[in-house]
Amino acid sequence: MEQSKKNANRDSVIFALIHGVTYLPATWLLKHDVFDKTFSVIIATVPIITFSIFVFKLIKAFSAMDEVKQRVQLEAVVIGFSLTAMLMMLLFLLSLSDISNPAWFGYGHLVGYCWAFYFIGWFVSKRKYGV
Amino acid sequence: MKNTIKVERAKKNWTQADLAKHIGISRQGLNSIETGKFVPSTVLALRMAKVFNTTVEILFQLDDTEA
Repeated sequence: MEQSKKNANRDSVIFALIHGVTYLPATWLLKHDVFDKTFSVIIATVPIITFSIFVFKLIKAFSAMDEVKQRVQLEAVVIGFSLTAMLMMLLFLLSLSDISNPAWFGYGHLVGYCWAFYFIGWFVSKRKYGV
Repeated sequence: MKNTIKVERAKKNWTQADLAKHIGISRQGLNSIETGKFVPSTVLALRMAKVFNTTVEILFQLDDTEA
């Protein structure tokens, strides 16, 4: 039981790293127009596939956690999602009056902000439950 | 929610790690329950009562404000 929990955790971390390894080169290749459009679509799909596997492993790891850790993860996701939704709403409203800065708030940046908000939620929830 | 986990643990001379292992949760998780920061599920409360050979009502009581 304890071993399967460790394996589930380890697998999710490994696939997070694999996703990172595919995401960064894909970003670089697509940004520098190295390939034609067809191959660019394939390159763009690779990090999505690795991310899907990571999410699958993360859900498996979540179900192997004890209930306190599950609560911490759940609250982290709720806080992360809420903050991301708030940021996107703010950006949308600002864009209506042409106040936006794509250099800081492009799609790529939003992915980063989303993760940052999740980790803020995780930190807050961990402190709340003392785990 | 008040609990007597610490008292029951002391009777058995168990550490938090010992009890956590018996009921299948992490030591940090048990600490969170013992300090009243997290209210466990019915299943976990029953499991805890079983290892202490007692009842859930003895382990967990409502606060005066909750009653």
